[in-house]
Amino acid sequence: MDKINKNLDLQKDDQLADFADQVINGNTKQNASPPTDELFGLEETILRLNSSLPPVSLDDAKVKQMHVRFKARIRREEQSVTSSFWQKWFSRESTPQLALAFAVLAVVIVAIVGAPSFGLTGSTSAGTAFTPGSIFLAIGMAAVFFILYWFARKR
Amino acid sequence: MLYSIEITNPFSPFSTTQYMENLTNSILQDPSDELLIQHFKDGRKDAFDQLYYRHLPKVYKRVRYVVPENDVEDVTQEIFIAALSSLTSFRGDAKFSTWLRTLTNHKVAEFYRKRTRKQEPPLSPLSDAAAHTTGSTSKTMEERVYLQRALQDLPENYREILLLRFAEDLQFNEIAEMTNQNLEATKSLFRRAVAALRTHLEK
Repeated sequence: MDKINKNLDLQKDDQLADFADQVINGNTKQNASPPTDELFGLEETILRLNSSLPPVSLDDAKVKQMHVRFKARIRREEQSVTSSFWQKWFSRESTPQLALAFAVLAVVIVAIVGAPSFGLTGSTSAGTAFTPGSIFLAIGMAAVFFILYWFARKR
Repeated sequence: MLYSIEITNPFSPFSTTQYMENLTNSILQDPSDELLIQHFKDGRKDAFDQLYYRHLPKVYKRVRYVVPENDVEDVTQEIFIAALSSLTSFRGDAKFSTWLRTLTNHKVAEFYRKRTRKQEPPLSPLSDAAAHTTGSTSKTMEERVYLQRALQDLPENYREILLLRFAEDLQFNEIAEMTNQNLEATKSLFRRAVAALRTHLEK
C-alpha cells in the first residue's frame, strides 16, 4: 500500500514538474489536470505565479545603464569614506570655529602635560613636568575630547 | 569552468608557445569567476566589472521576484556593493554564484527588516500597487506584490526551489545537482513548495 502511495506521489511530482517546465517555456496556458484532481490547484498556482511574475531578460542597454550607476555610487561612497571624521571636523571650510576650538584644546593639553609644574617652595626655576595633577587633568581633557568624538560619530 | 582549448600533443604542428597563447587568450576572453576574484585580490579592480556583467542578470531576476518593482534596482546595487566590499574575504569554499545567492537572500531579508522598522506595512498590496499605477495595471501590480509577500513568507527551502526554477530558470536536474539531492527529491520538494505557496495565497 505504501509503495503504491509512494509511486502515486512520484507520479504527481513528475507531472507537476513537467507542467512547470511547459509553463515556463510558454507552451501551456491551461491546467493539464482534471479540475477535481489535487494537482489542479497546484497547477493553478504555477500559472498564477508565472503570469504575475513573468520571466524578464535584461537588455544590454539596461545592464550598461545599471553598471554606470553602480560605478557612480561606488565613487560617491569612496569619497564619503576618504573624508574621515578628523578631516571633516578640522577642515576650515566646513566648521572653522569648531576646528579652531579643537586645535586650541589640543594645544592646551600639550601645554599642561609638557609645562613644568611650579611649586611655591624653592627657586622659581625649579619644577617638574608630568606631575600627577597635570596628568590627571590631561587625561580628563582627553576623556572629554573622546566623548565629544563619540557622540559626533554616533550622529 | 571548461575552456575550449585543444590540448596539443608533442607530435602536433602547434608549438608550446602557440598553445600558451591560445590558453592565455581563452582565459582573457572568458575567465572563470575564481580567476577574476584572484585578479581582483591582486589589485585589478576592473575584474569586478566582469563579475558584475556576468552575474547581474541572475541577481536582478531573483530580486525582482521578491522585491517590489520600484526597489529592484536599488536592492540589486546594494548586493553588488556588499559583494565588492567583502570580496577580499571570499575564500572560495563555495562557488562565487552560491556566495552571491546567499548575499542576495541576506540583502532581501535586510530590505524587509528596514521596511518593518520604518513602520511601513511589510508589503501592503494596495499601498504598493496603487501608489505607482492606475486602472487595470494596478490590479496586476497588486497581485504581484501579494505573491511576493507570500513567497517571502515561505520557509527558506521552499522559497529557494521556487526562485531557482522560476526566477533563475534552472532546470530540475541542475537544481538537484546544485543542492546535492536526487531528481526525485528535488521534484518532491518543488511540489511541496507549490502547495505551501497555495496555502499562503489562500490565507
